[in-house]
Amino acid sequence: MKMTPAVLIIGALMVFWASAFIIVGIPSMTMKETPSEIWRQLTPEEEAGHRLYVINGCSYCHSLYIRVSDWDIGAERIAESGDYVGVEPAILGTERTGPDLSQEGGEHPEDWNIAHFTNPRHTSPISLMPSWDFLEEREIRALTAYVQALGGKAADVRQARQRQWKTQAVAAYSGGLDRNVEWLHAQVPEVWRRMPNPYPATEAALQRGKRIYQQFCINCHSPIGDGKGSAEPYLSPPPLNFTTLRRHVVENRYIGGIFYYQIMNGITGTAMPYFKKHLESEKIWDLANYLAVSFVGYTDANIEPRGIDASYEGAWRNSYPPPGTEAK
Amino acid sequence: MIKFFYKPKGAALAFMVAGAAWFAVGAVYGMFSAIHLVAPEFLPHLAPLVFGRERPVHVNTMLYGFVGTMLIGAGLYYLPALLKTRLWSEPLAWVAFAFWNLTIASGPLGFAFGFTQGREYNEYVWLADVSLMLAAVCLIVNTVLTIVNRNEQQLYVSVWYFMAAFLWTAGNYPLGNVMWHPATGAMPGLIDSIFLWFWGHNLPGLLITPLATGAAYFVIPRVSRTPLNSHTLSLLGFWLLVALYTHIGGHHVLQSPIPNWLKTVSVVDSISMVLPVSIVVMNLWMTARHFGARIWGDPAARFVMGGVVWYVVTCIQGPLQSLPFLQRVTHFNNWTVGHAHIAMLGFGGYIALGAMWHIVPLVTGRELYSQKLVSLQFGLITFGLTGFFLVLTAAGLIQGTAWHNGETVYRVLPQIAPFMASRAALGVFILTGSLVGLFNLFMTLRHGRVMEVQQLRHAEEAA
Repeated sequence: MKMTPAVLIIGALMVFWASAFIIVGIPSMTMKETPSEIWRQLTPEEEAGHRLYVINGCSYCHSLYIRVSDWDIGAERIAESGDYVGVEPAILGTERTGPDLSQEGGEHPEDWNIAHFTNPRHTSPISLMPSWDFLEEREIRALTAYVQALGGKAADVRQARQRQWKTQAVAAYSGGLDRNVEWLHAQVPEVWRRMPNPYPATEAALQRGKRIYQQFCINCHSPIGDGKGSAEPYLSPPPLNFTTLRRHVVENRYIGGIFYYQIMNGITGTAMPYFKKHLESEKIWDLANYLAVSFVGYTDANIEPRGIDASYEGAWRNSYPPPGTEAK
Repeated sequence: MIKFFYKPKGAALAFMVAGAAWFAVGAVYGMFSAIHLVAPEFLPHLAPLVFGRERPVHVNTMLYGFVGTMLIGAGLYYLPALLKTRLWSEPLAWVAFAFWNLTIASGPLGFAFGFTQGREYNEYVWLADVSLMLAAVCLIVNTVLTIVNRNEQQLYVSVWYFMAAFLWTAGNYPLGNVMWHPATGAMPGLIDSIFLWFWGHNLPGLLITPLATGAAYFVIPRVSRTPLNSHTLSLLGFWLLVALYTHIGGHHVLQSPIPNWLKTVSVVDSISMVLPVSIVVMNLWMTARHFGARIWGDPAARFVMGGVVWYVVTCIQGPLQSLPFLQRVTHFNNWTVGHAHIAMLGFGGYIALGAMWHIVPLVTGRELYSQKLVSLQFGLITFGLTGFFLVLTAAGLIQGTAWHNGETVYRVLPQIAPFMASRAALGVFILTGSLVGLFNLFMTLRHGRVMEVQQLRHAEEAA
């Protein structure tokens, strides 16, 4: 075959355009824009937030679709083509330096998001996300509105739940420190409230708990557990001061189960997220022991009822006296 | 002043110098991005240098600015040289130079302040798109008319690639950038990802690959002083490239809800890409066979052959990672970042640098200021990039397998921290390599020893 200019130019163009027809032509003619059951129109403010998402390159670290194989985040709902109707551009993303955001709406209340945009480490101490505090407040609100809309109608349901519980949480907080703790504890199912921490609070376990505290909790609840971390000024109700819990140990005996339950499920409506996708059972119990020992001065680790000790466990015995029973 | 734009080979040199400068700019932005992935509060409150804004500057400046620009410069030299004529119009090449570099400048000047369309590899705003298209059209006109006015009957394979690169880009770029939607540069809905990755993948495939392949086909036979191994293999490599490459953009969104038939086509054709790649590589390798000492002993040709080696690695890895089973682990993490770097800097960048160092003496009539500095640049970049590839691939495997083990993205961050720190450290080598190259080029232009007429003629006829 001899490559003449005509063969080269006409041939190169023909092969290219034939291929282009297959790859973009046919999809253009056949792909239908049918809204999925969770799709809804974005509001103007959410649109403005989407614009900011696009021009600030959020898509370089966040994807906008959940895959069948995304077990780490549960993959409760796999992305469908109808989720993106009318979004221009719907940038699906290629990297997950940060989490997928396609179902982010309603995961957190607004105040958490605003604290997070201002400085991501307020809420997520080891986050690699840049601070967006150079944006105007209006822009951060628009970004928040957009993120809260991700997930469409499913996000709206989660958002409604956030608002419903926020009202109650704020009311409880305004009733004073002790009323607040009583309300919080009242939200924990009865079986959990009298459940001691089944893990021994060994030195190693407390170290593990401390590490988790530093990676997840420290910038809300602060290094000394008084709830005055860097995120506190942004949050309503503010983060819990653990040191007041000493007055609220159930029957002056139990605190582990309450910690576990609240770390696991979070307190929807407040900035306290659920951690059950990040942390599995032992890590939550270790963290509960760390909180109890460090900030309450007492842990119910390994007290009765405790059943048969696990085979690996050593001879650790709980020597923490319950509040008010310390030898003077 | 006017005469300056008529000086033969002037535009070719300008493109190559601009490419070397963009390399340094892109490397600086890459360095900042790498540091930010270790220390997100490095230079805080500086809006133009947040990760989301600096990353596209890095990526686009490297792709279009460094690799693209430098390879166009090389092409503007070898095109007329291979056709035994002059470039049809030197001023028209300068016009292309102006438009092309305007587009690239719109990256650092625009993205940093929010003037971006935000779609990966398609970020340039509409006006910059128009500018790039004008550059492409100027280059097409110039190339066609140079071919028409040739004194050499046969069209060498490098000429095919150089010609076709712009013919394809002129169709590709406006499609992928959805230029008929000036405001967003995007289609509404999911179908946008198909347009996006049509260009997103054809940018390396049908712009950078043909330019780099053309340059390699020019340099390797010249330095090894042998004729090209096989015309048939050249033909096969060329036609299979465009027939297959054009179909495979879908593998970037393989796990998204795009139509299944598109996924199938993209995977099948991705695997088939092994064919044109191995054909091209074999053809070059067979040409240089028995003359390895000439190739590896020449700093410029070493760069080019190094690029061919990276091409092999890239194009074994690329098809494999399009396989759905493997992609479950490798997608969304640093594995693909590693792949992108060996493709663009390894394959495209090495060949661009090699072609530049080979051609600059022919254009300027001056010997390179220092061959040792070219070797130093090769060493720095090779160490940096090899480390990059290993570190990022390892980090990606950690991320991918951890996620499938039920760990969240946030939980895996501490595990990749040492890898991100190593990557930033390795980036210093690449940045230094770009600066060494820029210095060497500057010194060559200013102080390189002027070659005797006889010596220059000998160099030009090396093949």
